[in-house]
Amino acid sequence: MNLADINKRYNIFSEFVPHDGKGFTFSLSDDMIAKGFQATAGSMILEGHRPVYDSTVSVRMRDAGASLIGKTNMHEFGVGVLSVAAKNPFDIERICGSGAACAASLIDDHVALATSGWGGISIPAAFCGVIGLTPTQGRVSRYGQIDNVSSMGPIGIIAPNTKILKKYLPAISGKDVNDPVSCSQPELKLGKSKLKTVAVPKGITDNVSKDVRKAFDDSVEMLKGMSVDITYEDMPHLKYSMAAHYILACVEGSLNFATYCGMRVGQQNGDMSLPFDDYFTSFRTKYFGQEIKKSIISGTYMTLGDNRNELYLRSLGIRQLVLDDHKKILSKYDTILTPSMPFIAPKSGEIEKMGYADKYLSGRFAIPPVFCGLPSISVPCGYSGGMPMGMQFISSHWNEDVLISAAEMWENSFNIKRPEVLL
Amino acid sequence: MKIGLEIHVQLPTRSKMFCSCPAGGAAGPNEHICPGCMGMPGTRPALNKEAIILGIKIAKLLNCTVPETIWFNRKIYFYPDLCRHYQITQYETPIAGNGVYYLGKKPIRINRAHLEEDPGVVSRSGDGSLTDYNRSGMPLIEIVTEPDIATPAEAREFLTALLKDIRHVIDLPDDGERSIRADCNISMKDSERCEVKNVSGLKNVERALTFEAVRQTKILKAGGRIARETRHYDADRMVTTSARKKEHEGDYAYVCESNLGKIDVKKIMSSVEHKESPKDLAARLEKEFVIDGSVAMQIVNTSVKLANLFEHLAKDVGPETSLKWVTGAISSFWKMLEKDADAKIGGIKDIIMRQKNGEINDVECSIMLKALITGKDDPAAKNDAALEPLIKIAIANNPSVLTDYKKSEKAANRIIGIIMKETGGSYSSSDIVEATKKILDELSLQ
Repeated sequence: MNLADINKRYNIFSEFVPHDGKGFTFSLSDDMIAKGFQATAGSMILEGHRPVYDSTVSVRMRDAGASLIGKTNMHEFGVGVLSVAAKNPFDIERICGSGAACAASLIDDHVALATSGWGGISIPAAFCGVIGLTPTQGRVSRYGQIDNVSSMGPIGIIAPNTKILKKYLPAISGKDVNDPVSCSQPELKLGKSKLKTVAVPKGITDNVSKDVRKAFDDSVEMLKGMSVDITYEDMPHLKYSMAAHYILACVEGSLNFATYCGMRVGQQNGDMSLPFDDYFTSFRTKYFGQEIKKSIISGTYMTLGDNRNELYLRSLGIRQLVLDDHKKILSKYDTILTPSMPFIAPKSGEIEKMGYADKYLSGRFAIPPVFCGLPSISVPCGYSGGMPMGMQFISSHWNEDVLISAAEMWENSFNIKRPEVLL
Repeated sequence: MKIGLEIHVQLPTRSKMFCSCPAGGAAGPNEHICPGCMGMPGTRPALNKEAIILGIKIAKLLNCTVPETIWFNRKIYFYPDLCRHYQITQYETPIAGNGVYYLGKKPIRINRAHLEEDPGVVSRSGDGSLTDYNRSGMPLIEIVTEPDIATPAEAREFLTALLKDIRHVIDLPDDGERSIRADCNISMKDSERCEVKNVSGLKNVERALTFEAVRQTKILKAGGRIARETRHYDADRMVTTSARKKEHEGDYAYVCESNLGKIDVKKIMSSVEHKESPKDLAARLEKEFVIDGSVAMQIVNTSVKLANLFEHLAKDVGPETSLKWVTGAISSFWKMLEKDADAKIGGIKDIIMRQKNGEINDVECSIMLKALITGKDDPAAKNDAALEPLIKIAIANNPSVLTDYKKSEKAANRIIGIIMKETGGSYSSSDIVEATKKILDELSLQ
């Protein structure tokens, strides 16, 4: 295996080290800090940023015996849903969602860590036919993860099979004094639960592509055959979660991106004779991408004056309602099941034709659990024209165990395909 | 004229509010910084619990309500002295709300007091600016009053009294570095208010407010309008100058700081010991021991320790006797006693007790108190060798004492009296008694 060749073909890594690929390897998406590596979070404004400290996940993975081979490409700060950062391992004409999923799909015994603020684990996992676990918010320390959204988007694992996923989830989980949010978690226990009951939100396959609907319905039948009880349930507030997520993500992003001004980190080669306001404006204009500028402007607008009450605070309220919907159902069933994406990985040209809102709304299955801080796992559930499709189990807070056992059970009966072109 | 103040007080914690950098005492610029307070991408704030505890103590001092849970907010702050470009502060859940502080009999309502982080310090240098982030992230409490203050002089009086109380309640050292800054809001009748930002020092607050009062009155008299704005105070020229148009609350975003989550104040509060403020102490002494209010205030103003001494004595010797000595001999030597009042309290009590029991008279009591306080009977200063010859001479001059002493030990008192008079309080009575008895015992055996 030659990483350089793989990278040339699929554009997986922003930076990598030569490695023979033997033993357990891992990669970090570019918004996670690792000593010795550049950390740009996919943004020009952070080019050349080599952090002075190490992230908790990087330290913990290395301590667990895995070697870091590179930083995977991502779309700028992970903002947005359909990323063109890397090419799909099943068809290089198509997108794959993030370099992390591409790496997990192509490299043997490899785990890729990624962040999920905008659904960045389930979405690429579905597009690349691999398993993507988004843990509970607070399960994995985010110390050393370059912030995009603060109140959601834990670090999760993308892996080709549940065996290595199970090996490394305990390694990166656990309390960390550097991230107070991680300190409230109960202990992670694996191998205790078994999937028995599943709720499917009513009408969840409306407006998804034909092939995804068929694969999803077939999978539900298959689950029934594995003596899992399937029930259809109403989730009245689910439809509001996307609008509210967009508001919170933009608002929190706009503050997190405020620190980038051509000082202290990243690009700093501006005209020092300018007044401070002009100096940072020139930087931000030049080096932020369109998607980031849009989210900063939207986020600022959404907290301005009365908008704070009308948009920001109301979105926080909606988050509670959506969470209550989930909690109510999860008190009766082990998991909630939805598709992961409404279509197979699109071609780059197809994305250009899509509207801004349509692109964003394609994350409508992957984003709600992230929005509520609930854990979820995306597993491959079918293939259409050789392209993988995924479905997603959601469980209650801190119960990653039932998700992994569900994925394991599924893995034993469903034939997960690897991409044909392995270098 | 209406004056409202926003008072910033740095809290005396050992480390900064959201990271483990030391708070204060840096040898040079940018020595106490870390990836956290430099806002390096990917760092997370971790709360210093001590800041919450000090906040609760101040809330109690200001008779404020304290919420059961609090959280922090991010306030947009696009200036280079805070690296993240937002300030972690409190918006919906200030640590203290709806209080009142009595300046004498006048109530000054407290709107709120909230915790926040201090920015760094920017200094102009040549044609550029230098930023020192040592102060960035130090814990601050911002106390916001209602516009209940009537004059610049009253503002100064209020600040003086308030700071004295705060210093006491949170053990804030008066070391200059942890300075006190105030934003002064002032408006004339029915016109917009101006805010003079970041005035440090009590004198400057009064001067800045006086300057503003005159400036605004002049404008209004000339038929002009006061524009709502932020102004700076130039301490050298003693004038205020326009800084920028005042932002409105709505421009600050105040987004929840989800990296810190909710903080259970109720739980923390149960472990906080509340220290009585000097003002409350005076009021309590007045009531509890039925003494004159102004006298109580006078004692407390001299020192809280003196008031504690009064209270301690009053419990054993009664308030009247206690008051007599505390305002008398003890007050006059207070400067000397203050350092080790706690250590000497037992000795003082013994002496006053003996006076009360009639063992010694007022003059002797004064002399003995003076001796104790001025430290003339400190072990180091003591010279028993000199005491012994004096006693022997006194016995030689009064030979009958020795014969009487054999019958009754009380006879020793005559010698003791003579020695005490001669030494004028250089020795403690107990030492004299001990030495005299020892010599008399030795002589009796011969």
